Amino acid sequence: MDRNQSHRNRRRVLKTLHLTALFLTMMIICIPGLWIVLNSFRPTVEIMAKPPVWVPSFTLDHYRAMFAGAGEGGVPVFSYFRNSLIVSVTSTLIAILIGMSGGYAFARYRFKGKNGYFVGLMLFRAVPGVALSLPLFIVFAKVGIIDTHFGLILAYVAMNVPFTIWLTDGFFRQIPKELHEAAEIDGCTRWQAFWQVEFPVARSGVASAAIFAFLTSWNEFALASQLTRSVGSKTMPVGLLDFTAEFTINWGGMCALAVLMIVPALILTFIVQKHLIAGLTFGGVKG
Amino acid sequence: MTEVTLSKVVKKYGQHQAVHGIDLDIQDGEFVVLVGPSGCGKSTTLRMIAGLEDISGGDVTIGGRVVNDLPPRERNISMVFQNYALYPHMTVRENLGFSLKIAKRPEQEIVKAVDEAAGILGLDELMDRKPAALSGGQRQRVAMGRAIVRHPDVFLFDEPLSNLDAKLRTQMRVEIKKLHQKVESTIIYVTHDQVEAMTLADRIVLMRDGHIVQVGTPLELFNRPVDTFVATFIGSPPMNLVDGVVQGETIVLNGSISVPLPVTAGPLTNGQAVKFGFRADNLMPIGHAVEEEGAVHELDLSVTLTEPLGTETLLFTNLAGVEVQAKMFNPRPVTPGEQLQFRLMLDKCHVFDAKSGQAVRG
Amino acid sequence: MTRRRLPEWLVLLLPAIIVIAAVVLIPLLFSLYSSFTPYKLTRPSTLWKWVGTYNYEKILSDAKFWAAFGRTVLFLTIVLNVELLLGLGIALMMNKVTWGQRTLRTILMFPMMFSPILVGFQFKFIFNDNIGLVNNALQSMGFNVALPWLVDGKLAMFSIMFAEIWMSTSVFAILILAGLFAMPRDPLEAAKVDGCTPWQSFRHITLPFLMPFIYIAMTIRSLDVARAYDIVQIMTGGGPARRTELLWTLMSRTGYVDARMGLANAMGYVSILLSILFTIYFFRKLSAARAELGMAG
Ligand SMILES: Nc1ncnc2c1ncn2[C@@H]1O[C@H](COP(=O)(O)OP(=O)(O)O)[C@@H](O)[C@H]1O
Ligand SMILES: [Mg+2]
Repeated sequence: MDRNQSHRNRRRVLKTLHLTALFLTMMIICIPGLWIVLNSFRPTVEIMAKPPVWVPSFTLDHYRAMFAGAGEGGVPVFSYFRNSLIVSVTSTLIAILIGMSGGYAFARYRFKGKNGYFVGLMLFRAVPGVALSLPLFIVFAKVGIIDTHFGLILAYVAMNVPFTIWLTDGFFRQIPKELHEAAEIDGCTRWQAFWQVEFPVARSGVASAAIFAFLTSWNEFALASQLTRSVGSKTMPVGLLDFTAEFTINWGGMCALAVLMIVPALILTFIVQKHLIAGLTFGGVKG
Repeated sequence: MTEVTLSKVVKKYGQHQAVHGIDLDIQDGEFVVLVGPSGCGKSTTLRMIAGLEDISGGDVTIGGRVVNDLPPRERNISMVFQNYALYPHMTVRENLGFSLKIAKRPEQEIVKAVDEAAGILGLDELMDRKPAALSGGQRQRVAMGRAIVRHPDVFLFDEPLSNLDAKLRTQMRVEIKKLHQKVESTIIYVTHDQVEAMTLADRIVLMRDGHIVQVGTPLELFNRPVDTFVATFIGSPPMNLVDGVVQGETIVLNGSISVPLPVTAGPLTNGQAVKFGFRADNLMPIGHAVEEEGAVHELDLSVTLTEPLGTETLLFTNLAGVEVQAKMFNPRPVTPGEQLQFRLMLDKCHVFDAKSGQAVRG
Repeated sequence: MTRRRLPEWLVLLLPAIIVIAAVVLIPLLFSLYSSFTPYKLTRPSTLWKWVGTYNYEKILSDAKFWAAFGRTVLFLTIVLNVELLLGLGIALMMNKVTWGQRTLRTILMFPMMFSPILVGFQFKFIFNDNIGLVNNALQSMGFNVALPWLVDGKLAMFSIMFAEIWMSTSVFAILILAGLFAMPRDPLEAAKVDGCTPWQSFRHITLPFLMPFIYIAMTIRSLDVARAYDIVQIMTGGGPARRTELLWTLMSRTGYVDARMGLANAMGYVSILLSILFTIYFFRKLSAARAELGMAG
């Protein structure tokens, strides 16, 4: 009787601890992001106020200034957004095509030195962006594709291909090879069998690989900051720097641009979030 | 006409040779079963006929046409896989119609062919489900339906029933046999289960280590096995084998008991080491035997274990130091240790050369 | 009749190989070469002067470089371990939750969508000694302090690590959580019946099963540890007085500010080697863990 009671008490204490810890964790995860969103709607005076103002007022000034293209700093947000979109979408599409073909090769063919090739490809992904940006800058400048969408797209394709290969390899491996054999017996060529059967079945994996590629391109800074110079090619992560001056930072404006950066990533990720996790684990564990 | 002919077909995986130059003629409309222990090269052979595996040597001919280098889609075959290989993203209807869609047949024709196949296999209720929502038996049916929709020249089955439970397997076996009677196409069927092979085949091809050991009707393999491997692989329980030495007109088993040489045995030399083989059905306790013509030898043996099966009981006894099985028809309860008098049907016994394992038959 | 053709697998891999060769391999070879020259962007002719291992000797005998190198290794070690432990903790907590798990998981993925540079700015803002959220909160709670989060060396290192951990713990948590979901129940129940304490069954059953998932997370993380560059560059730029200088910030300063490409590329090679070592190490661990659980393919 007594022991039952003490066990019950202990369980209650543990449960409270568990909930508290979970709540704190979620707070720490959420607050920084929410703080950015909140401040994008606060007037600058209030952000800078000393002592701090805790009851926020609401203004769209920062967004208005941002979209007006002039005014507060005159940051050409539209161009940056468009550049980011073009570069990220194009490079993702190309990286997925190339990566899928490579992933398929690893999943479906036996060849000598397969593991070596695989790790070798991954190692190229491990090259730090900063270390690559110096020589890449010089090479691109020589070829004359510095400060162009094309150059940045090319760089991001190369950057995303290895990881895409990793993920799609895992997914294609999940698909029994009998499936394309059945399709070939049903009259498909190998090419048809891939597009009619294997690709649709691996769709969720490909989608998750695409999200990762997109997020990488969308958020990348080290390469973009060197390979782009002008309004015509700068992406949003580089554009964030426009809000910094010698000694001051336009926090409100920056927060507004940050929100603009996060929202598409957020929407996209939530659409495919289920596949995202499956993609990571299947790709990796059962590989 | 769609005969399938293999001549000197070889398959190598690098150093490892999986199929060693096999020859086989399959008639139009014949139901041939490739059977053998797992890893003996049955699937490899079937997949070479399908065009899923390159042929390392020899020729495969389908309907008089050498198909060695043709891709599967140009061979007009269809195949049912062990794990069904249904397209998970398509409904049953789409699965069935896929091959016709790829062949760009008119919509009406596809619908008609799919409905017909669905009717034959009783799939009408399931047409709009995805494979994930089907039971094992239903998936099996869809896989078969997908094979028959195209009216192929040859059907290939690779262990299609091994993922089903025992009861369903028996049921599907009957359906496959009925299907064959209906479509009258050539069927090549792979299994490792000798019961499936016996019940389904017009002709059985028994394989071992990439070689064909014996080809023949089920009864030929059962009654006239060419060697000890066939003798023990076909039939359940497996044939009893006891070591012996030929001495005049008798065989001395393990130096103790001697039995007369069966009249069916071929030329044997005095002192030749042999294996003496007989099936449980041919060693029966007196009073519980099936009455048959022919030479009989009587033996006193004590029972060590019994396995009642209903209409008969399997008796485990000891013959010259070897455990052998006997069958008791119209059984009565037997207690272990009981001494019974058995009759051995000598005309149904087999003699194999001990060294080569080959049957010695007259 | 038999024309020699490229094997299919190679044809499929070729686009990947070509792109990577063009965009990564060639520049890396170029930078390898230039790391043996006194190349300065401002004086192109210096590219043709061979100085052998001079640059390497120079950085290897440079105390500032070694300080940055040591700090980088320390930074990575601390950060990766903390991320792993926190991730494990969060995953275990989430696994016990009975309601709203989907929502919680969604929130958990939140930081993964943030650009590292954005994370840098965000925490530069939050840790700002004048108007930052942290100091404002402290002051409103009655502590009359203005902690110099990004100005004091130790605090700055802490702030940077905090930002990095905030950004990357999710990867661990999510992958480990997926591992927990995939875990078969029977062994745990058997252990309970056999009298294992919760700690024992975690230690001997749950943890071994999670190892491959942990290594995947580690491997994925090791592929882009250098993302920390973005954060540090924004938050402190390596300052104050080089107290938060990491290999990557030092390299970028040497290359872009001082325009000493040869030297910077030599440092770049050291950082590449570091990343590659991390990656290979975890890949190995991953293969071993997979083999142990019979998941190898
Ligand atoms: N892709 C392959 N690579 C190498 N060896 C193989 C391959 N496929 C089958 N084998 C080998 O060939 C032999 C025959 O295999 P298989 O035809 O699948 O046997 P089964 O009779 O069980 O269907 C086996 O020893 C198997 O290990
Ligand atoms: Mg097989």
